[in-house]
Amino acid sequence: MPVLNVHGATVSYGGRAVVRGVDLAVAPGEAVALMGANGSGKSTLIKAVAGLVPLAGGTIELFGTAQKRFRDWKRVGYVPQRTGAASGVPSTAAEVVSQGRLAHRLLGMPSRRADRDAVARSLDEVGLADHAHCSVDTLSGGQQQRVLIARALATDPELLIMDEPTVGVDAETQAALAAVVADRIDAGCAVLLVTHELGPLTDRLDRAVVLADGRVVHDGEPPRPVGEHADPGHQHSHPHSNGQTAEDFWGGK
Amino acid sequence: MNLEQVFGYFEYEFMQRALISALVVGLCAPSVGVFLVQKRLALIGDGLGHIALTGVAIGFLTGTAPLWTTLAVTVAASIVMELLRSHSKTSGDVALAMMFYGGIAGGVYLTGIASDKGVANLQQYLFGSLLTAGWSEVWTIVIGGAVVAVLMLVLRPWLTAICADEQYARVSGLPVGALNLLLLVTTAVTVSVSMRAVGLLLVSALLVIPVVTVQQFTRSFKATMFAAMGAGLLIAGTGVLASAVKDVPPGSTIVLIGVAAFVATALAAAAVRRLRRTRRGHLPPEGEPLEVELPAKA
Repeated sequence: MPVLNVHGATVSYGGRAVVRGVDLAVAPGEAVALMGANGSGKSTLIKAVAGLVPLAGGTIELFGTAQKRFRDWKRVGYVPQRTGAASGVPSTAAEVVSQGRLAHRLLGMPSRRADRDAVARSLDEVGLADHAHCSVDTLSGGQQQRVLIARALATDPELLIMDEPTVGVDAETQAALAAVVADRIDAGCAVLLVTHELGPLTDRLDRAVVLADGRVVHDGEPPRPVGEHADPGHQHSHPHSNGQTAEDFWGGK
Repeated sequence: MNLEQVFGYFEYEFMQRALISALVVGLCAPSVGVFLVQKRLALIGDGLGHIALTGVAIGFLTGTAPLWTTLAVTVAASIVMELLRSHSKTSGDVALAMMFYGGIAGGVYLTGIASDKGVANLQQYLFGSLLTAGWSEVWTIVIGGAVVAVLMLVLRPWLTAICADEQYARVSGLPVGALNLLLLVTTAVTVSVSMRAVGLLLVSALLVIPVVTVQQFTRSFKATMFAAMGAGLLIAGTGVLASAVKDVPPGSTIVLIGVAAFVATALAAAAVRRLRRTRRGHLPPEGEPLEVELPAKA
């Protein structure tokens, strides 16, 4: 039984269909990337999966239950598209991560030892154990993103949904996060990852689904970089519009 | 002016009542306000205060106690507000604007009709009249305040989650709609219950000022909440004392002291930050190495 089964999903914003009849299945322990250019509908589809935007047509099943009747959200870890972890009132990293345990707690009941352990463990996993009691708005953008990932991990999810988790995160942090996610995949957690770039996170994928204009155009092997991009040591050179080369721009060598 | 003289004021029963009411409001209002600031809805207390004017006027018109009509009107308004916010494209601040205009206009209009009956006195609800409150009103404030504070303290983690990141809270399966509604209804209760003490126009101040004052020095939400409740207690207490000494309305004194406390801590926090700039609690973010060659200086 797939942990996620999307059948013929259609989502429209104001009458315009952004996602059109998409089929997508994620098996237990499988790591799938949802790729595509900006505006291809990948973020919208993942929001529909998370129940944040309503479907105009089609069905979504989570762990074999229709999404409308699905109540066991603690089996799903969600990392929203980067908005920063900071908000109006100061909160520590540990406080933000402990939001990930609320689905495990009864409304109004105090946290238990297992909840506190899970918070400490996930902060440790993303390498922020020393920053647990720092206010999140004093952390860097990359560190805030790691806090949000730790929050999703604290749920002990069986399906981890991540919406562009590495946008604006430096290369070193990306590699560290890829290792964390790979550990969870090895432990049997399924991953659905929205991304528009290939990077350390995409190396560990089983499958990629590519969307274009709201439709699936590829479902299978993850795309590999081609041509000179396949060479790990390749150089990017982007000529500037006024005819200057990069060297001219920086005053020559 | 000596201390004995100050304590002398509290031999009068009306001063004891004023002090108790103000302390309770000062303690309980920030426990709700901290979530409103977190949700960036700091002005909602003011909006509900305006709506409450309509409630007070309905009380005048019908001859019932204004507290109950206000409670009914503000709770109804907060429910409508939440439905508007979650089910339509009307944004929170448009809904707030409608509440500001509609509430004041409704209050003045209905008071105009009621003034024929010679009972209308909006003034004491606008700016508070701690000194004329009876013991039954003090008890209403104490019970209402206790219910509000206990609810907020017990539900703190859940309310923080929906205020900080509503989408995430939704995906974790929390009852987001119910919690949002609970927060707004609690705000409505706080506003209605404390209107006799600090006045409708000044309630918003006690919801927000203690929170923004202490959060300049706090790092965690929990500490902010408790410190704000302490600060609210202190500000309200000092306000009543000072107003007794100068014989001015307590509501405005409390708010002025709060604003002064905020300005003072904002300046102090800026100074402390300047001093501490070199000593950070944790390592600064590691940057990526520069991938360009900087031009040599000529």
